[in-house]
Amino acid sequence: MTAVVRAEGLSKYYGRRRGLEDLTLDIQPGEVFGYLGPNGAGKTTTIRLLMDLIRPTGGRVRVLGAPPGEAAIRARIGYLPGDLVLEGRERARDYLAFLGRMRGGVPPGRVAELAERLDADLSVPMRKLSKGNRQKIGLIQAFMHEPEFLILDEPTSGLDPLVQQEFLAMVREVRASGRTVLMSSHVLAEVEHVSDRVGIVRSGRLVAVENVAALREKAVRRVELHFDGPVPREAFEGLPGVRDLRVEGAGVRCTIDGRPDALIKAAARFTVVHLVSAEPDLEEIFLTYYSEEGAHHDHQVPA
Amino acid sequence: MITKYLRDNLRALAGWTIGLGAFLTMYLGIYASIKDDPATYSAQAMAKYPGALKDLMGGLQDIGTGTGYLQTVVYQLIVPMLFVVCAMILANRAIAGPEEAGTLELVVTLPVERGRVVLARFAGLALGLLAVAAVTFVIVWTMTRQVGIDTPFGRLLAAHIGLYLLALFFGTLTLAVGAATGRKAAASAVLGVWAALGYMVVTVGRGVDAVSWLRWVSPFHYYADGRPLYEGLPAGDYLVLAGATAVLALTAVLTFDRRDVGV
Repeated sequence: MTAVVRAEGLSKYYGRRRGLEDLTLDIQPGEVFGYLGPNGAGKTTTIRLLMDLIRPTGGRVRVLGAPPGEAAIRARIGYLPGDLVLEGRERARDYLAFLGRMRGGVPPGRVAELAERLDADLSVPMRKLSKGNRQKIGLIQAFMHEPEFLILDEPTSGLDPLVQQEFLAMVREVRASGRTVLMSSHVLAEVEHVSDRVGIVRSGRLVAVENVAALREKAVRRVELHFDGPVPREAFEGLPGVRDLRVEGAGVRCTIDGRPDALIKAAARFTVVHLVSAEPDLEEIFLTYYSEEGAHHDHQVPA
Repeated sequence: MITKYLRDNLRALAGWTIGLGAFLTMYLGIYASIKDDPATYSAQAMAKYPGALKDLMGGLQDIGTGTGYLQTVVYQLIVPMLFVVCAMILANRAIAGPEEAGTLELVVTLPVERGRVVLARFAGLALGLLAVAAVTFVIVWTMTRQVGIDTPFGRLLAAHIGLYLLALFFGTLTLAVGAATGRKAAASAVLGVWAALGYMVVTVGRGVDAVSWLRWVSPFHYYADGRPLYEGLPAGDYLVLAGATAVLALTAVLTFDRRDVGV
């Protein structure tokens, strides 16, 4: 099966300024790939290389099996720019019709259906659209021709929470039909529920690619237990996977890696009155990657 | 894609056509009173402007005659410059303007080669300017008959074709610089400098040997040297203008195809 995206050593410099360095990445058909990183990390540079808006300084990239410069493949891609600009007196409906025609046609009723789902008004002249409505029009144009591959740069920015949910539902439908999505974000929470894998990019380099399910498994969980009376510290010491143990009278706090089984069995010997287990926070793992990477760099500086 | 570009610029085109039309109607209308006393007006005009300015206005020799008046007020300075500015504005809306605004991003990611995008916008520019030229030609023809300027139809048409080719040349120059750099300011600056110097070379600099050889690079040389209002269509000169325009259009296609967009 041909990879939807295959990048090998892909680099982009703007003059001497680094945009992206040595990106090697495969995205497989049918997956939703979350592309994460802070602003200016190289997400948009990567996406614009895939869309042939900018040309690589080094390395090579194939999109849907072809070089991105091949115009015909762009009919099979839906693209939402990170900074979408819509201008003029033209109504959104007419502009969408123009884009649809240029991409070889849109199934009838498709635009109206998407507009209804996202609650977008298509009769407004484009220059009068608010930020959120502009983003909705951007999403409609990316989804409307039912492309094999959706490239969405910061798709949720400017959308209110209800519309965000609807958008995520649309992404799930795309995946269910075997099509592929690459979406960028600087907030993991926005993409973790729909992504199969996430790539983390930082200062122009891809620092990690992780399976979301695996990431969740690895996730650090904070647990708090309360008992009906003081408990001995020894009962909880040395349990596999338990770290940062604090025992204060009737309360026990710790973090656990992976399965909570040993802790639960240890606690079962006493009377548990209250248990709090925080949902694994991927955001935290995400930040851990960054700080580890940061620490790594710090070590290199004196050497 | 061509119709889209024209539709997006319909207001600008209509505005320029109306403005130019009003200007032409007014200035040609004045000839009715000049005709009554050509000697006085001619002398006044000659007295009013110092030598260099007179050169700049194309000499002003026979402003008392119909064709001379037409040459001076329509085809010499102001109307060509207005046409050039109109062409510049339209051409800047082809690539550099949308690129600076950010609207070019989606267009370039359509399944259309970049070269085709440039060519479609060049075609739109050519057609838009043709529409402006056609309407203003009808106005000039009608007004000249009204006020009694008897320049033959063929000569008038020859002069107006020159106007069109001149505007298209400068418009394509703007388009090409815009396509190569993505900057409206750069495109406008190149056009401004080339147009101003080019015009000076063939008017004020005409008698100055040090600069007059530069007329070969001045579009105004090919526009005016054949004196189309007096001598008919200067086919060779016009072919040079059209050829240079084609070269510029090709340059626009090639440079735009090779560079990063919206950086």
